Amino acid sequence: MLLFSSTAIVKALVLATVTIGFSGILWKKNLLMKIIAMDVMSTGVVAFYVFIAARRGLIAPILSDRSGLDYGDPVPQAVILTAIVIGLSIQALMLVGAIKLAKDHPTLEVSEIEGRE
Amino acid sequence: MVNFTVIFIFLPFLLGFIAYLLPKTDRFLATAASLLSIIFSAVVLITRQEFNLVLMGNFGVSLTVDNLSGYFILTNGLVTLAVAIYGWLKSKTPYFYTQLTILHGSVNSVFCCADFITLYVALEVIGIATFLLISYPRHNRSIWIGLRYLLLSNTVMLFYLVGAVLVFQSQGSFAFAALQNASVEAMVLILLGLLTKGGIFLSGMWLPLTHAESESPVSATLSGIVVKTGIFPIIRCAQMVEELAPIVEIFSTGTVTLGVVLGMFCTDIKRIFAFSTISQLGYVLIGSEGAGIYALAHGVAKAGLFLTSGSLATRQIGSIPPISFSNWLVLAVCSLSIMGLPGLVGFGAKELVLAHLPQWQNWWLNLCSIGTVIILCPVLLIPCQGKTLEKESSPGLFLAAVTVIASLLYPHAYKWDKIIKTVATIALGLGIYYRGWRRWQWQYNSPLEQLENLLSLLTIVAVLLFTILAYELP
Repeated sequence: MLLFSSTAIVKALVLATVTIGFSGILWKKNLLMKIIAMDVMSTGVVAFYVFIAARRGLIAPILSDRSGLDYGDPVPQAVILTAIVIGLSIQALMLVGAIKLAKDHPTLEVSEIEGRE
Repeated sequence: MVNFTVIFIFLPFLLGFIAYLLPKTDRFLATAASLLSIIFSAVVLITRQEFNLVLMGNFGVSLTVDNLSGYFILTNGLVTLAVAIYGWLKSKTPYFYTQLTILHGSVNSVFCCADFITLYVALEVIGIATFLLISYPRHNRSIWIGLRYLLLSNTVMLFYLVGAVLVFQSQGSFAFAALQNASVEAMVLILLGLLTKGGIFLSGMWLPLTHAESESPVSATLSGIVVKTGIFPIIRCAQMVEELAPIVEIFSTGTVTLGVVLGMFCTDIKRIFAFSTISQLGYVLIGSEGAGIYALAHGVAKAGLFLTSGSLATRQIGSIPPISFSNWLVLAVCSLSIMGLPGLVGFGAKELVLAHLPQWQNWWLNLCSIGTVIILCPVLLIPCQGKTLEKESSPGLFLAAVTVIASLLYPHAYKWDKIIKTVATIALGLGIYYRGWRRWQWQYNSPLEQLENLLSLLTIVAVLLFTILAYELP
């Protein structure tokens, strides 16, 4: 008998990604690293939605004559698609901002940008 | 009414993009969008409409429009109208009007929505539009303030998303009402997102710098309406979910106190306004029935203050040179309305909010009112010269006129004991400031406003929320 089910392990890994991402945002001193850490966190959240959607089954939810199929829940997938697009555009915006800032603060250290050494 | 609602939500986005494509029409379109909101909210408020809509079938966009959303939309319309007029006078670019109109539209959708995903999309659009407005001057400083806002807001929105899917997992729905039986973790994550967006208590420490360093029309929009988009959903959920009551109580009292105390140690007038926003948001949050009117009172008055602050020669209190009579009038009327002077909308709003509160909280918030008077006193002491009304300050004068007219919204507040209490509070606050506080002028810049500390505060607020909810729920 397995000590942990495979679902529990996947869930733990997904939530660990979210936590690692957030720790990165907290602890990395460099602005660029913070932005990348935010992307890691966002990946974790997207994976969590997919995980929730796949709880009941893994078959793609396509209308067919056969009944009793274990299909994945389409609602969280549809929702997270929106969130992915929004996340992408925010990442892009922040990176553009970082490029602008890098002209005068080449190291992009947050403490230096905030003007405290 | 259904079609009108759909058009009302959709049109600002369309107008925003047209404004960018046809730059000559920009100011008219922005004005039209705000007038549309004012008309819509007037219809909702006057005919006392209450209805729910579900668009695009099951799991689609669900909307709820009632009295509460009516007041919030009215605030949005009035503030955007004033900012559009301001932009008209200062010849702002089409880009500014585009962002303003899109921001206006997404704020409206927050005030109508009734499910977590519509809310998420609207809040993210608000985040992006706000970032673009803040960083538009393209100085290093403004870009940094914008980035800081976007990083923080996107991080909490990710937590919020996790909370939303946890609600869906247990209840099979994204509707606000599904929060009723959701797990504690789901509530904590969603509230963390909303409280931070709304600038409440410790999670709102990002607000002073952002609001103080932006350009004055942007600060006016941010303080007037944008922060209320975080608070409105909490009020909506708290009406349906009883478990949220202790959180609303603790956080609103906390934010009123925090804003007033930190505001006393500021000498920069825009920072004072920003801390006053933090404290006033507490009244909106706790307001339940009075929340709508309080949001209107605060939004209009604070937008007037921020818009006028743009024409001051310096922001250091005590060294501001004499200003024109019309600017002085706007500053005085708006700050007196926030202090709650009878005859202005702030008085009725405050009494309506306080009337529904338990004894201890009523007592404590009355004490904090004295603090509100003390922090806004320096505004009243700015010297003025001349007697003429200038065209320059017409948006401010418009908002000041609204605070006078809107005082008719709640005429029941005018009872002798309440009038005497409020006047005594204001007199006491003025006395304390003039005789004592003015001499010291301590300045204290809290290290909590650094980015790392803002992010750490998120974890502290999350633990706080978790503790309160775990104590409350079995």
